[in-house]
Amino acid sequence: MTVDFEPRLTRDWDDPGVIGIDGYAAKGGYEALGRAVTMADADILELVKSSGLRGRGGAGFPTGMKWGFVPRDTGKPTYVVVNFDESEPGTCNNRELVERDPHRLLEGAAIAALAIGCETIYIYVRGEYLWQSIVLERAIAEAYGSGRFGADALGSGKRIDVVLHRGAGAYICGEETALLSSLEGYRGQPRLRPPFPAVEGLFASPTVINNVETLMNVPDILVRGSDWFRELGTEKSPGTKMVTISGKVERPGNYEVPLGTPFRVVLEDLAGGVLSGRGLKAWTPGGSSTPMLTAEHTDVHLDYESLAEAGSMLGTAAIMVMDETDCVVDCAQRMVRFYAHESCGKCTPCREGSWWATRVLERIEEGDGRDEDLPVVRDLGKNLLFRAFCALADGTASVINSSLQHFRDEFEEHVRLGGCPLKVDHLEEVPA
Amino acid sequence: MARPAAPGITLTIDDREVTVPKGTLIIRAAEQLGIEIPRFCDHPYLAPIGACRQCYVQVEGQGKLQTSCTSTVAPGMVVRTQNTSEAAREAQVANLEFLLLNHPLDCPICDRGGECPLQDQALAFGPGESRFVDAKRVFPKPVPMSPLVALDRERCVLCARCTRFCDEISGDRFLELFARSAGERVSIAAGEDFRSPFSGNTIQICPVGALTATPYRFVARPFDLTSGDSVCQHCSAGCNVRVDVRRDEVVRVLARENPEVNDAWICDKGRFAFRHADAPARITTPLIRDRGLEPASFGEVLTWVAERCAGARVAFLTGGRLTDEDYYAMSKFARTVARTNDLDHRRAFHGGLAELVAAAGATDRETSVTYADVERAKVILVAGLDTEQEVPILHLRIRKAAARGARVVVVHPRRTRLHDVAEHILVRPGQEVSVLDRIREGVDDGSPEARIAASIRDAGDSAVILAGERLAEHPLAADVALAVAAKTGARFGFVTRRANDRGALSTGVHPDLLPGGRRLDHAEERAEVEAVWGPITASEAGRNAHEILEACAERAVDVLFVIGADPLRDHPDAALVRRALANVGTLVVHSLELGDLEPFASAFLPASAAIERDGHLTDWEGRWQRIRPVRGALGISRPDWEIFCGLAAAMGADLGFETLDEIRREMASLLMPRSVGERPNVWAGAGAPQWIDDLTVFTYPMLVDEGRLSDRADELKAALEEPAFAEMHPVDAEKKGLSDGATVRLATERGDVLVPLRVTEHVAAGSVFLPFNQPGVAANTLLSGRSTAAVRVEAAEPVGSADVPAEAAEAAEAEEATA
Repeated sequence: MTVDFEPRLTRDWDDPGVIGIDGYAAKGGYEALGRAVTMADADILELVKSSGLRGRGGAGFPTGMKWGFVPRDTGKPTYVVVNFDESEPGTCNNRELVERDPHRLLEGAAIAALAIGCETIYIYVRGEYLWQSIVLERAIAEAYGSGRFGADALGSGKRIDVVLHRGAGAYICGEETALLSSLEGYRGQPRLRPPFPAVEGLFASPTVINNVETLMNVPDILVRGSDWFRELGTEKSPGTKMVTISGKVERPGNYEVPLGTPFRVVLEDLAGGVLSGRGLKAWTPGGSSTPMLTAEHTDVHLDYESLAEAGSMLGTAAIMVMDETDCVVDCAQRMVRFYAHESCGKCTPCREGSWWATRVLERIEEGDGRDEDLPVVRDLGKNLLFRAFCALADGTASVINSSLQHFRDEFEEHVRLGGCPLKVDHLEEVPA
Repeated sequence: MARPAAPGITLTIDDREVTVPKGTLIIRAAEQLGIEIPRFCDHPYLAPIGACRQCYVQVEGQGKLQTSCTSTVAPGMVVRTQNTSEAAREAQVANLEFLLLNHPLDCPICDRGGECPLQDQALAFGPGESRFVDAKRVFPKPVPMSPLVALDRERCVLCARCTRFCDEISGDRFLELFARSAGERVSIAAGEDFRSPFSGNTIQICPVGALTATPYRFVARPFDLTSGDSVCQHCSAGCNVRVDVRRDEVVRVLARENPEVNDAWICDKGRFAFRHADAPARITTPLIRDRGLEPASFGEVLTWVAERCAGARVAFLTGGRLTDEDYYAMSKFARTVARTNDLDHRRAFHGGLAELVAAAGATDRETSVTYADVERAKVILVAGLDTEQEVPILHLRIRKAAARGARVVVVHPRRTRLHDVAEHILVRPGQEVSVLDRIREGVDDGSPEARIAASIRDAGDSAVILAGERLAEHPLAADVALAVAAKTGARFGFVTRRANDRGALSTGVHPDLLPGGRRLDHAEERAEVEAVWGPITASEAGRNAHEILEACAERAVDVLFVIGADPLRDHPDAALVRRALANVGTLVVHSLELGDLEPFASAFLPASAAIERDGHLTDWEGRWQRIRPVRGALGISRPDWEIFCGLAAAMGADLGFETLDEIRREMASLLMPRSVGERPNVWAGAGAPQWIDDLTVFTYPMLVDEGRLSDRADELKAALEEPAFAEMHPVDAEKKGLSDGATVRLATERGDVLVPLRVTEHVAAGSVFLPFNQPGVAANTLLSGRSTAAVRVEAAEPVGSADVPAEAAEAAEAEEATA
């Protein structure tokens, strides 16, 4: 099977000129914004709703519905916040999207702002994304300089301001309420919901928070319409999705595919198959926080519903591939260590549980596992899932539960042999 | 807490039905049924956070377990706690296992051991053995947050109660969570001290032994303590406290929850200044000067005093912290046995406000203001009062109101710690009345007063005006206050400062007032008292405290009783007090100790300490609260009422009561609510502001100072007492050529002091602030009976010159060396 469709998000990736505003405009850029400023905000909202666009950050919430939750009669300003804190291990598609086509993000965010009556857009950029910040800053300057943003955007009398904010390197700040706290200058820790951000978000005002990829779909929807948008993808998951594939494959990278494309197509046709023709052992469909799947799941389709059925999640569509020479215990140990390190510390299960899980998994991998450790690992997975304040610990639990579910014998072997059967050199650290 | 009268919501918890107001959290609803769901981060006075995850319950129809501290009730909800849900129980056990992973399990040496929620729950349903075999996380400990608060991070469960208290309640945001993941910890900015007068509350609400009080660290085990309920005597807030005693020695004071008064908080002075009653200087037997101040029996000393009182001119000065019963006995003794109206409890003149609350407040709840009124108020105007320093728990209640949206305005010569929630109008001392008058007039000129007047009018009886002692000093304070209230519909409260000023007023420890605020010179009201007392034999009109001291100085008083007071420190005219004490014929002291009065005392009567007494205190609201003895009286010390009964007997008279019950029965008949006639209001406007003096010094006591009740509270003083200072506005400093940090001489007609100057715009131009009872600087040596005086300020010789005590000079040198 091959993937044959007209690329959408990546269609101008071959043209370095679109990084500049003139190059972008030459390809039809900012046409959508030009239409949007003349449209009633309710019409923009209706169009996005009918397109069926769903949030690309992981949860897949319908974007139009999210915008529609924003009350307009509170007397407070409303805000659009762009979540560019792309931090999920294995995920780097937002990064490339912005590097290659920054104006499409600005245009999408500006349309979202018009749809909810917002005058100030905040872009929260992952702290490590210095280059992407510079690219965005340049693009923002161009957008202001060309009169597209500012007090009188495109001469419409409407104000569109953009503030770029760089994070300080915390995974949790990708969680939307933690992101808001961080943006307000507080510790990046998630907040209680309700109140939901749509009602009381940034500075206690109605706020829409959208992922980069989500917003980059919006300009085309405005210009080409919702029916066009639905031409690709499935009925419930229309459109395309950026997929990041990494790990043991021949051609790792970012690929755009229609939602519902089978994993096999991505693995074999796009990424060139498992590295060196080895056998596939395990893979994550949506970043390390989504439950691992195995070679048995190769024909699963990449969309929200199919993956849920398979016992995992689409997440950020960051596929990490482990081959038959990889030790699942070692992989789990590294992933859990990441979540332990990134736990914000607010709640007990995540802070203490992931810390404990790291200790035990490290020990098992290093050959100091005991028979009593396996029940502990099993209980940790159980006691972390749906017990923490936010979903971070659910990711930790997913790693533990799915690796144990599919590869329990490998854990047992580690304990029995007093070491890793694959002799993975676990002292070799991943380069920083 | 006051609940909205909204229709209730009925739900089922563990198969039992309960109806609670809308918006109630499940954990609170369960409490209504007596079901305790384990929790660490939840606290009824703090906003929900859902951090510890201990309080999981199962809610029918919801896939995931819910934290009961963050979930509100819904109609028909079916909740199962750990009592009836295996899933909830398992989740709680698992969470407990997480919390104990890194816990040091040092319960046997932990202050909290025996009263620790974590220990209790581990015991109740924690596993007997730990499954954790790896190395525990370690932190250096203890880490001092201040001289009062030490942090043991290994015991901390990161519930964030302490940081939320600082953020939500006191507003003193010193403690904060630092770092993340397993390294997350409570901490404080480098170089900062937890310099909040409410810091001790974080220790009390810590659900483990992480925050500990340095005065209590390793001092006692909970089962070694006997505890008594009491009411704090440090100020008029009326905070409910629990006093813990170990082998007759007070070792700890805790806040007792009372939503009507102090919520669940007390200030650090109330918590940590508890050693004065156990001071080595405490005297527990009577002493007589004639015998070289040797111990005597009560029989001897009462006879001795009685002989000197017979036919003599007697006067009484008291402090503000005796019980109502003591005050009542004294008032009756003075007027019916000692034949005098020369009795007073006040330090300074109260321009009619005292009379106002004595007559109306204590007996007429309708014109009084309560904490609940403050909490619900839409507008709060504070005049002549520094709430944080003078009545700290009222300060917290005002902050609570502000957090709920109340508009707070402070009219004061100096910025107060309400600055982040209130608008301040800085005025020269004495000019507070002018601001009030402009509000009364309802000026409409765009001024702050105009805006305040408008919002007070809009708020109607949801506006509250709180007047402090410094407003009260104005001769027409009561009139302007009543005039504002009458004009705007606002409610008016006079905030007395000391713990039982209100009780002293309502029982008639006042030259012109009899019990119940009845006027001595009003025939009908006087007759009401005489109907109970028998004839008032005092014939002359009474003198107030200042006049009594003047009379003593002029040898017009034969016997002066000083009861629970130290006028040398506290009366705003130190020179006059010194002359009075030197010239009075006989000085009788009722107290815990002699202190500075020793050279002057003729007889000493050992009073029992407040923690040894039974009686009532009346807080600033007029609320009557009972204190009970926490331990027996030391030696043969006695409460003052008993001393007066004995003295009356020794003088051949009978006060008519021999027990507290008898006093209370008699007192009740006179303190019963009664209607008060219209008071003629003589307020006719403040007129133009009068700047008589170039500079005015004003003073009031800081919360922690050299006052007697803070004696031996060394950690408290180290944490909160400041070295002596005076404050002046930059405009005045520039005029005088003075700079910040310079040593200045403050000189009035009474005396002068040397003190380091702070130049700050947080004090009104034209005024100089000098705290009342500072280390090494006694402000009352500058005063002549009021809290303000005209003052000259000039540069002084650098500290270290001859008229500075050697140690102060050394300290200054040391400071210079480090600067």
